[in-house]
Amino acid sequence: MTTELFIVQVLNGIQYGLLLFLIASGLTLVLGVMGILNLAHGSMYMVGAYLMWYFVTVTGSFTVSAALSVTIVLSLGILIERVLIQRFYNRNHLDQVLLTIGMIFVFNSLQSILFGNDPYGVSVPDALDGGIPLTNNSTYPVYRIFVAVICVGIAGLLYFVIGRTRLGMMIRAGESNREMVEALGVNIKSLYTIVFAFGVMLAAIAGIIASPVSSIVPGMGESVLITCFVVVVIGGMGSIKGAFIAALLVGLISTFFSILMPSMANMIIYIFMILVLLIKPQGLFAK
Amino acid sequence: MSKCATYFAALALGFFLSLSSSIAFASSVIKIGVMQPLTGVYAGPGQSGLNGLLLALKEYETNAHQNEIDLIILDTEAKPARAPELATSLLEQNKVDFVVGPAHSGVAMGMINVLREKDTVMIIPNAGAAAATGPLCSPNIFRTSFSSWQPSYPMGKVALQKGYRDVYLISWNYGMGRESLEAFEESFKAGGGNVVKKVLLPFPSTNFQPHISDIAAQDPDAVFVFFAGGGATKFVKDYDASGLRGNIPLLGSGFLTEGTLEAQGEAAEGVITTLHYAEQLEVQKNLEFREAFHNEYGHYPDIYAVQGYDAGQAIIITLNELKGDVSDKRAVIDVMEKLTIDSPRGAFTFSRAHNPVQNIYLREVIDGANVVTGIAAEALEDPARGCKL
Amino acid sequence: MIFEKRTERIIVPIFFMVALFVPLFLDANSFFVGKVSTIIIMSIFVMSLDFLVGRVGLITLGHALFYGLGGYLFVILSPEYEVVNFWVYTFYICIISALIALVIGVVVLRTTGIYFIMITLAISQMAFYYFFDSLKYGGDDGLFIYMTPETSIFGLSFLNLDDPQHFYYLALFSLFNTLVFFKVVLRSRFGRIVEATKQNPDRTEALGYNIFAFRLTCYVIGSTLGAYAGFLFALQYSFVNPTFLSWELSGTALVMSILGGLGTIYGAILGTFTYEGLQYFFEHLTKEWLLFMGTAIIMMVILLRKGIAGYLEKLLEK
Repeated sequence: MTTELFIVQVLNGIQYGLLLFLIASGLTLVLGVMGILNLAHGSMYMVGAYLMWYFVTVTGSFTVSAALSVTIVLSLGILIERVLIQRFYNRNHLDQVLLTIGMIFVFNSLQSILFGNDPYGVSVPDALDGGIPLTNNSTYPVYRIFVAVICVGIAGLLYFVIGRTRLGMMIRAGESNREMVEALGVNIKSLYTIVFAFGVMLAAIAGIIASPVSSIVPGMGESVLITCFVVVVIGGMGSIKGAFIAALLVGLISTFFSILMPSMANMIIYIFMILVLLIKPQGLFAK
Repeated sequence: MSKCATYFAALALGFFLSLSSSIAFASSVIKIGVMQPLTGVYAGPGQSGLNGLLLALKEYETNAHQNEIDLIILDTEAKPARAPELATSLLEQNKVDFVVGPAHSGVAMGMINVLREKDTVMIIPNAGAAAATGPLCSPNIFRTSFSSWQPSYPMGKVALQKGYRDVYLISWNYGMGRESLEAFEESFKAGGGNVVKKVLLPFPSTNFQPHISDIAAQDPDAVFVFFAGGGATKFVKDYDASGLRGNIPLLGSGFLTEGTLEAQGEAAEGVITTLHYAEQLEVQKNLEFREAFHNEYGHYPDIYAVQGYDAGQAIIITLNELKGDVSDKRAVIDVMEKLTIDSPRGAFTFSRAHNPVQNIYLREVIDGANVVTGIAAEALEDPARGCKL
Repeated sequence: MIFEKRTERIIVPIFFMVALFVPLFLDANSFFVGKVSTIIIMSIFVMSLDFLVGRVGLITLGHALFYGLGGYLFVILSPEYEVVNFWVYTFYICIISALIALVIGVVVLRTTGIYFIMITLAISQMAFYYFFDSLKYGGDDGLFIYMTPETSIFGLSFLNLDDPQHFYYLALFSLFNTLVFFKVVLRSRFGRIVEATKQNPDRTEALGYNIFAFRLTCYVIGSTLGAYAGFLFALQYSFVNPTFLSWELSGTALVMSILGGLGTIYGAILGTFTYEGLQYFFEHLTKEWLLFMGTAIIMMVILLRKGIAGYLEKLLEK
């Protein structure tokens, strides 16, 4: 492998990792803060992508569609939390698994009824369509750089909100001691609704910004779900920083293995996770 | 005298009528079991194949021999584990005369295990697994689609004719992917071509970017791929986004641009593929079929619909020839083996292993459509390796 | 009496009495006999999972690994064109699965909670991809089993596995034995210690018991019975496929056991029959069966806090 190709592959790995982070961050937030094991998280990624496709076809505008999709998913998140998730804070993880598997069924079915089963694609917005010359025969797509920038931006924002703001303080406190925060007069109910809707929205944003570079197909939610759980567990549950680093590691490892040892590419992230857990049973950045 | 003759004529007519109606009654209900994926990742092709079949049966209802047709439609979810159970239910509970399905090769294997050497005729409207008309071929198993070998084999010669000596191969590491790349290699290497690299990606990963960077670095004369559905959409878009389109020609088994062109958009322009069908094919039957399908469902058919339609046609013509009497399964199979099916893809017959003997068309994506630029192989027959029929 | 609760003493005999006569009623319809056999086999699998999850507290999302392994081990071990003995191969498969479970158990039992869920999932995914990618074992298409095993013991043969009715009774007999086996184990001293390790691991450890060893033993037992169920399933349709090891199957089995009533053991039968029954019903009703199935699951998890068995117990226990 030439140095040139090596650098390109590192870029590819980071790029893939950043997108994984965006989906995984919502998952780790909901799991870490609220203790909810949400298997339907991947479905929200799917919902984001399908809504995006639908609105782009109708309105033709990338930004308008993105805004509409985010708003709808945010409301959907609030609705789901209020109607379903709220009943499950005091139930065990297994009941949550059952509930969210039921939700996956419902979302997949609705996708098929509302949007059909053909693969769809969204075209890259004109302003970001193009490439930066990389080698004599290839370019690096501008849109992918845009995706990476958005991901890093959101990561920074999350880090700031959770670490530096009053809301973040309440979230961190609610994580460690629910009763105490409640006693201090914080409305934990609303806090949880906000966190859940926000987590769901992160998955949807990933679906939205990935829509021009991915194919929008049935089952796309489940295909990212397991990888994101791997990221969350490697990083340590609830840790945004952990998810960020784990996502980059997973992205780089899968990229290089799929080039150098394609036959191992499927297994490698699981092997990596097992190794991490054997050394640090609570993940890399456990609280 | 005339009165007498009228009387006799009426009597004779009545006798014949009662005779013919009693024949019709004896075999009036034809049961067709359908096993297609209607939910999940394969739901698109599954529903499309089913629509094609239904259209053929509907045409039958209006203009040909009258039999009541009882359809039993089961959703395979593309889950191989469920295939034997569903196939058994069609065979033993519904006692169907024909089974049409499936779309997914793993499911096909599970079904074949139950239906092989049975009386019920199985017609595969998509799944291309080589084994189905290879080592596992059986008198009662027919296929109206293709074997994985067929669409890819002719492309090896095409690539050489176009002067591509060094080709990069990439697909998923699963049956259809492996078999397609092998078929391409067979004719390509025989003609003196050189395979730069052969990559089998883990299925169903769509993280193609690392490989596209690798292709750019290897700089081959051309790339040959097998991808379908969502993976095909993404590969073509990623290939274009990295600036390779126009620099390194992209060749593929036709599924790369089937039912995905709209999603691929501009990125698919210039992609060259080989397949046993093309929507723009200048065949009278194709034009009629496309209009009929459009009238019925409000959109134009794809390859999966054609294959389902032909499965329906095969059943109908057989029923007509046998006057609706399917009680003798040997006779049903004999008739089917000799059929020439007037397909939208052009007429085809069945090989000794019951796989279509069909033209493979060379197509190029021009202005968002698969335009036929020639015939890559005429009346191509699958070698049916391992079939003892 | 190994059945402690009144509900069990009512439900279990009714189920097995009805089940005994199913093939006689459905004589003309061998499909239904086969379908019920499949559900019975699934019940064995779900029961073994219920034991691990509900009684030992090991929430595994990789149980399907053993289900698929049961089938694949048979294909790998038996000579291709030779009829082998069912009992001998049952023995082989159980021993080898137990050994594999032992090795895996030593690794995965070092973690707990969600990490245990993920690590079991990871290992089963690796096994899935191993079989999916291996040409030798048929890759994604899977393999057929050409020779049905014979079942003679000391030259006496009374079971023909090709006969759906015989197979049905074999499955039912296996389910009954599994149920009784788990009940006996749980009633024993061993079972009470297992119970204690779940309720209060620290105190149990303080009493001088090696929790790890108890959990490992249970993991091996549960996994081996899971493999036996998979072996039966592969035999019923003479077919193995990598999807038998998929995480979706582990998830579905988990859904069935929670639905039935976690930790009740006999609830596995209720959960499996309810799930499969609902799916069969909705599938034949509408193309959008997934929507109904999902809604039904959500409703049930909200309304039935302790599963179907829990609901029945509320009705029947005083």
